[in-house]
Amino acid sequence: MSIANATTTAPAAATAAATPIFPSFEQVYQGLAGQIGMLRQMAPKPTKTDEKRLQGAIDTLIEETNADEAVWLESCIHCGQCTNACHYFQATGEAKYAPMRKMDLYRRVYQLEISPMRWWHRLIMKPVKLQDFADASELIYDSCSECGRCTMVCPMGIDTASLVHHMRSAMVAAELVPPELAALRMEQKQMGTVFGSSPEALKKLVETIREQAGVEIPLDKDQAEVMVLSSAVDLVANGNGLLATAKIMNHLGIDWTLRSDGFESANFGLLSGDMSLWKQQADPIIAAAQKVGAKTLVIAECGHAYPALRWNPMVSGGELPFEMMYMSEFLGKQAKAGKLHLTPFEGKVTFHDPCKTGRRGGAFDEPRAVLAEMDADLVEMPANKEYNWCCGGGAGIFLLEDATRLRDESFKIKMREVNESGAESVVVSCASCRLNFESGRQKNHWDKKVHSLVELVADHLIDDPASLPSSNRQAAGEAQGARP
Amino acid sequence: MSLLEFARGPAIHAALIIMAAGIALRLIGVLVLTRGADLSRPRDAFGNFKGYRTVFSRAWPSGEFTTTTRYQTVVAYLFHIATLLVVLGIVPHIEFITSLTGLSWPALPNFLGVALGTLALASLLALIGRRLAKPAVYNSTLGDYVTWVIVALPLLTGLMAFAHVGPRYETMLALHILSSALLFAYMPFSKLMHAFWFIFSRAQSGLAYAHKGVRI
Repeated sequence: MSIANATTTAPAAATAAATPIFPSFEQVYQGLAGQIGMLRQMAPKPTKTDEKRLQGAIDTLIEETNADEAVWLESCIHCGQCTNACHYFQATGEAKYAPMRKMDLYRRVYQLEISPMRWWHRLIMKPVKLQDFADASELIYDSCSECGRCTMVCPMGIDTASLVHHMRSAMVAAELVPPELAALRMEQKQMGTVFGSSPEALKKLVETIREQAGVEIPLDKDQAEVMVLSSAVDLVANGNGLLATAKIMNHLGIDWTLRSDGFESANFGLLSGDMSLWKQQADPIIAAAQKVGAKTLVIAECGHAYPALRWNPMVSGGELPFEMMYMSEFLGKQAKAGKLHLTPFEGKVTFHDPCKTGRRGGAFDEPRAVLAEMDADLVEMPANKEYNWCCGGGAGIFLLEDATRLRDESFKIKMREVNESGAESVVVSCASCRLNFESGRQKNHWDKKVHSLVELVADHLIDDPASLPSSNRQAAGEAQGARP
Repeated sequence: MSLLEFARGPAIHAALIIMAAGIALRLIGVLVLTRGADLSRPRDAFGNFKGYRTVFSRAWPSGEFTTTTRYQTVVAYLFHIATLLVVLGIVPHIEFITSLTGLSWPALPNFLGVALGTLALASLLALIGRRLAKPAVYNSTLGDYVTWVIVALPLLTGLMAFAHVGPRYETMLALHILSSALLFAYMPFSKLMHAFWFIFSRAQSGLAYAHKGVRI
């Protein structure tokens, strides 16, 4: 079968496979790991006095606390159910990683400053100190990927992940963001780039792809039906991600563009907790999509970019003239509409739902529809979809050196889940998940293959149905015939 | 004024006033806070409404979590049901409620009241036993233990008074009423307020996730 597949590949792609233009993802991971190591030295130092940092954190929490947050903070009964649902607790068995602990400091601030019983709490509780926030950093960043699995078991239904997110906002005000995220936040705030992924770098990558792979990327078109985003991971390391995206868009004959004035999916405002930077990054993308008259905005395989844009609570999505969707949703919709024809995928495969697009995003069916289009033997992990275990690297944790042990240990849960599913390979649709899978795969000498959905689709495109072996051609023809 | 007269009179009345005022203050004080707006477009137009299902569906944990939650869920249900039946079902309690409100209903037979009271206390012991045995899972605070004691005392003293164990009956009864008064007065300051919060908390999360097309 593999021989038959090889014969169907277009000559240009076949040459590309022989001498790859871009490094393999294994090399991408190793290169990025080196860059991440340097971030710690680039982190900005606190500029405000301790009093101002503390007051800033408290004021942020007061400002961001609405009835929803207050009710959730009021509701915890310490029943312990969430503890076992958290991958960081499961991986370490350490009490401090219990989800309920991650809202303790927020609750103290709430009780002293906002609660209707604050007069009572001020009598019996000590005031909060800056050191309390510093001590909470490990719980707010290193050991909570805001995956939301604890909400699935909480008898009160407390959304701990969103409370942790408010704590991250407070940590920004307290200037206590971990160095890696602080460095990237500063870079994105001041220069609008991440890892140096400037519009110039984008242009250069587009040229490289045109010259070396013979794939055209319509950069900066004035009008387009579909506007596609890229991400820093593509630009500075994994050119294959953008190459695959371009191949698919061109193959589908879509009127698309990539804009140098709004291309970056990564949003270190959301990851660090800086709400103003979150908005500052989202606005130009939305403006660019409006300018080109896009009907669809496709977000690159960058998990947190989905909540950063599609679920951005500060953007009136209903009033926008375009729809925002994640890459996996876009591909799934194309597959469901019968427009995407793919060569079969060999062997058992499982799909890992990134927390941000799955449980906290709702894009479950579409990536599976893409795999169905490849006639893939899709097997689910024991805990899947809404109950999926986080890979351990979400919400920026992949970048944090201090979280290495937590990440590595919790990834073992993921490995166990994949092994139990019987799959030989895993498909992910999120750069952070993929990097974390790659890290775990290398460290544990794991025998599974890890694929990105978009790259997998690009590798399985049927360029010319006529050139297919008869069995495949028949299948493609039937598939087309089945969909009027 | 005897201890029993004090318990039956000023103590229990003051406690009920503190409870009612405290619950009102805490509930209203929270619920009048502004609601944050999520401006993003919902996955489907009527999807958000489905979120209210979580208020009911969360009454029992998903099969995904059966192994880790079975003990806590079963024992907690036993405790809540048994306690509710004892509080509302035995003759002296109904008489007390009648004296306050004029309402009355048929009582449970005594033997059933004792059995339920014993079950409630036993399940409460089973809960604290697990809490003490698995400190990493529960992350207990002082408030958790204080609340446990304050909830256990009325059950213990009530059973003792009924069985005529311990001090003479009038003293035991006074202690039972005083411990209940303590429970009433303590309620608005404690996690016992979950009796109200659970509806709001579940609904909020159900709505937030339904907005994204996720059923929790």
